[in-house]
Amino acid sequence: MKILAGVALLLAMSIAAAQAQKAFQPPAGPTPKTADGKVDFSGVWSRPYVPDMTKDGKDQKGFAELPFTPWGESEWKHYDASEGDYTGACLPFGLTRSVNAPEPIQIMQSATYFTFLFEVNNFFVVVPIDGRPHRKGSPGWYGDSIGRWDGDTLVIDSINFNGKTKLDTIGHPMSDQLHVVQRYTRTDLGHIAFELTVDDPKTYTKPWKNTRTFTLRPDWEMMEYSCEENNKSLWEGRIKVPKF
Amino acid sequence: MNLTRHVPGVGAAFAALLAITLPAAAHHSFAAEFDPNKSVSLKGEVTKLEWFNPHIWLYVDVKDEQGAVTRWQCEGGAPNSLTRNGWSKDSLKAGDAVVVEGYLAKDASNTCSIRSVKTADGRGVFLGAGAQESPEK
Repeated sequence: MKILAGVALLLAMSIAAAQAQKAFQPPAGPTPKTADGKVDFSGVWSRPYVPDMTKDGKDQKGFAELPFTPWGESEWKHYDASEGDYTGACLPFGLTRSVNAPEPIQIMQSATYFTFLFEVNNFFVVVPIDGRPHRKGSPGWYGDSIGRWDGDTLVIDSINFNGKTKLDTIGHPMSDQLHVVQRYTRTDLGHIAFELTVDDPKTYTKPWKNTRTFTLRPDWEMMEYSCEENNKSLWEGRIKVPKF
Repeated sequence: MNLTRHVPGVGAAFAALLAITLPAAAHHSFAAEFDPNKSVSLKGEVTKLEWFNPHIWLYVDVKDEQGAVTRWQCEGGAPNSLTRNGWSKDSLKAGDAVVVEGYLAKDASNTCSIRSVKTADGRGVFLGAGAQESPEK
């Protein structure tokens, strides 16, 4: 009898948990447009968490066999996060680590700019879409991004990275020659088909990509995220600041 | 010290189910701080729950058979994701009896990465940081 009760309880808990996970359905409808006829990407979006860009997962298609150059392969083989972890030290996550994070993004747009608000570490990227060329400033953690329309797809081109970041949490390498292309296609009201191409000739012999699905979360609001607030792991010496 | 081996059961199965479905934290590499080959099970009493970014921290006093108390601190997930999945700073309170499953820190301190927490009555399980990030390297 106890066994039966236990099984029933487990079943009930499993169903409840599954229902909790399945409860949300994004709104259905056609792709929305702005007043000037462009696709409207505005909203808070959930994304798949991708700690390893070689792996597949829910709403994520990875690239299994990375085409390393000898330099890239050496960087990968010798990476040891216990010797220095830049995100653990609350340095900027960089573009791809921010795109890969589990926390949502909010997209805001005008006729001349897109703004991507990353909840993780509360960083942001402003992308002009008025045809201007890349800026020639100092290399940065997030690089320099410009956007353009390819039909109804928003294409964001990013270069001028400082080479201090990793592509993903597990630590796949990149260099200051990294060139990232993101393609956003809002397939309907509730979804974005997302594609990210990594083009880094110092680290990889050819470009490779991930494809993902983002889901609109009108029931979510962006939350504060202060990395420094309680970063005990760094304060107590278990995580080290990398030497660049 | 009351370090117990994990005994599979209803609560543990529920914990495992949630561990599969809830997002993990992305703040730092698991390998930077914890050892995926050193699991730990702590049976003790909650003294404090810190619900701040970039990770929640749970403090647990573990009493051995002679009554000596060892204080443990365990890192959980990011509070924002946990909040969106229905957990809060009130999900556990000081005095709650819990079993924490996790992985030990590499520095041999009384620190762990939470894989799951369950209360004595099987209630109140939330995911830690490490379950989905046990690294290949």
